[in-house]
Amino acid sequence: MHESKGTILVVDDTPANVRFLVGTLAEFGYNVRPAIDSQSALVGALEEPPDLILLDIQMPNMNGYEVCTKLKADERTKDIPVIFISALNEVLDKVKAFGVGGVDYITKPFQVEEVLARVKTHLSLRSLQKNLEEKNEKLALTLQQLKDTQDELIQREKMAALGQLIAGVAHEINTPLGAITSSVRHIAKFWNNHLLELLEFLQKLSPERQSDLFGLLQTSSQHNTFLSTREQRQIKKHLVSQLESHNLDNTVKLASLLVEIGVYDNIEPLVPLLKAPECKNLLDTVYEFANTRTSIRNITTASERASKVVFALKTYAHYDSTGDKVKAEITAGIETVLTLYCNQLKQGVNVIRNYEDSLPSILCYPDELNQVWTNLIHNALQAMDYRGTLTIGVKKIEDNLRVKVTDSGKGIPPEIMPKIFQPFFTTKPPGEGSGLGLDIIKKIIEKHQGKIEVESVPGQTTFTVFLPANNEQ
Amino acid sequence: MTNTAILCVDDEVTILKSLEIELHNAFGDTYLYELAESAEEAIEIMEELDEEELKIVIIISDWLMPEMKGDEFLINIHQKYPHIIKIMLTGQASEEAVERAKRYANLYRCFSKPWDSRELITTIQSAVKQLQ
Repeated sequence: MHESKGTILVVDDTPANVRFLVGTLAEFGYNVRPAIDSQSALVGALEEPPDLILLDIQMPNMNGYEVCTKLKADERTKDIPVIFISALNEVLDKVKAFGVGGVDYITKPFQVEEVLARVKTHLSLRSLQKNLEEKNEKLALTLQQLKDTQDELIQREKMAALGQLIAGVAHEINTPLGAITSSVRHIAKFWNNHLLELLEFLQKLSPERQSDLFGLLQTSSQHNTFLSTREQRQIKKHLVSQLESHNLDNTVKLASLLVEIGVYDNIEPLVPLLKAPECKNLLDTVYEFANTRTSIRNITTASERASKVVFALKTYAHYDSTGDKVKAEITAGIETVLTLYCNQLKQGVNVIRNYEDSLPSILCYPDELNQVWTNLIHNALQAMDYRGTLTIGVKKIEDNLRVKVTDSGKGIPPEIMPKIFQPFFTTKPPGEGSGLGLDIIKKIIEKHQGKIEVESVPGQTTFTVFLPANNEQ
Repeated sequence: MTNTAILCVDDEVTILKSLEIELHNAFGDTYLYELAESAEEAIEIMEELDEEELKIVIIISDWLMPEMKGDEFLINIHQKYPHIIKIMLTGQASEEAVERAKRYANLYRCFSKPWDSRELITTIQSAVKQLQ
């Protein structure tokens, strides 16, 4: 016996019909199973789904139409083709037969050739359909794998960029940390060693000097921002000449102290104090307080700086696996990347931000867009060898947000322009760039239904990204 | 009267302020403390101090600053002021930069941020002792 051409379930309550069909079909190489009522037909179809069902219409309890309706309603049997069997003397409702999901019908008495032809046709149709389904499934799987690989590539590129940044980021954290540890040390020292001394000193002062001291403390607490070192020197020089005009000694040191305390001008009311013998001790005391204040301000400023860097790192390294778009501000993402590149930018890049006021948040994949900004900024910095002007403009134009990243670098040669968005194209030496940067960001932008354009002449290269701003989901 | 100064160069004002307080705590009125936010400003200050006949004994400089970097700055001033003790205090410096500063600017010591205050102060003390 040769290999089965397919499994067929024959359902008929007339034993003679079943015998005939089973015998004929088996003879032609089909694997045939009989069922003599509707209940065993349903059970048989479910337990071991056949490739085709021949189904009698006229049966007791449940007729063929009902059986077919049940088969079509079940996920496991809905795709099995059903051919109805009808006696010529029965009224065959063809419309109903097709309506409940039948694919064909044959009439009794059977003509062997016709039965075989119809069975063969529908089995091959079914097998083609199955084939197609399998291929579709495979394709869908391949597509998903591709997508996963792409996501992974994006994430890898992002982490590779982060790796290159990390040394700079370390500096950005170590610097505020240095200021914090030094300032904390000073406050601790002041508290442990000087506070009692100072309070004792205070008690010994004359009422006049006490009020001088309170006045100076008040002056000192009025200043909340740091002066630049240039401003400080300017004020110091001015104070020195004022002090000299009052014939005071040691004017440079005195001026330094006064600036630190916060006396920038108008020393007239202080002249009696400055000429008094307790002057030095008193100014030193106020200076100690002022320093503690400065230390606190140092810590505040430095902690904010460090937090900003850590926050940028966290935002950057974040990977949203939900795959849902969220509302986000484009400029916040750009600022995150600029914070991480702060160190590189400091080496000689002037950053100009042209952000339009009240830009709308847009529905997007913020993590992936960060990757776009990182690539564009990184390329821009490399193109100008970390010296020049980086201009970032964000503007709403009709229904889009337009982000322009412009560098003052050497420009992209026209001959390589058509290739820059191709995967694996890179101008960097082996090991420095995967050549996937622009390819990936183009894909990310397309995922946002946006587009990216580039214009370049020596001294001015602009990448322009358009992102839909009203992409309600 | 004080006629010697310590010059601190860093683009971070918080660092400059911390250093100034730290140095003042350690050395009081022995020195004047000058602060510069860039190498360019530091060079300006040095010229001014020359005019006032004030002597800088120590420079503590950051490495990563906009425009001129720490090693370049120290090498630069080393030609004119070979006797000034040069210390680098940095959050991150390339090894080559430190090497360059050692070779061409006679860099005395390089500290990483965050730094150990006592170590910085004793380094300055011993360096000054060597000078005398």
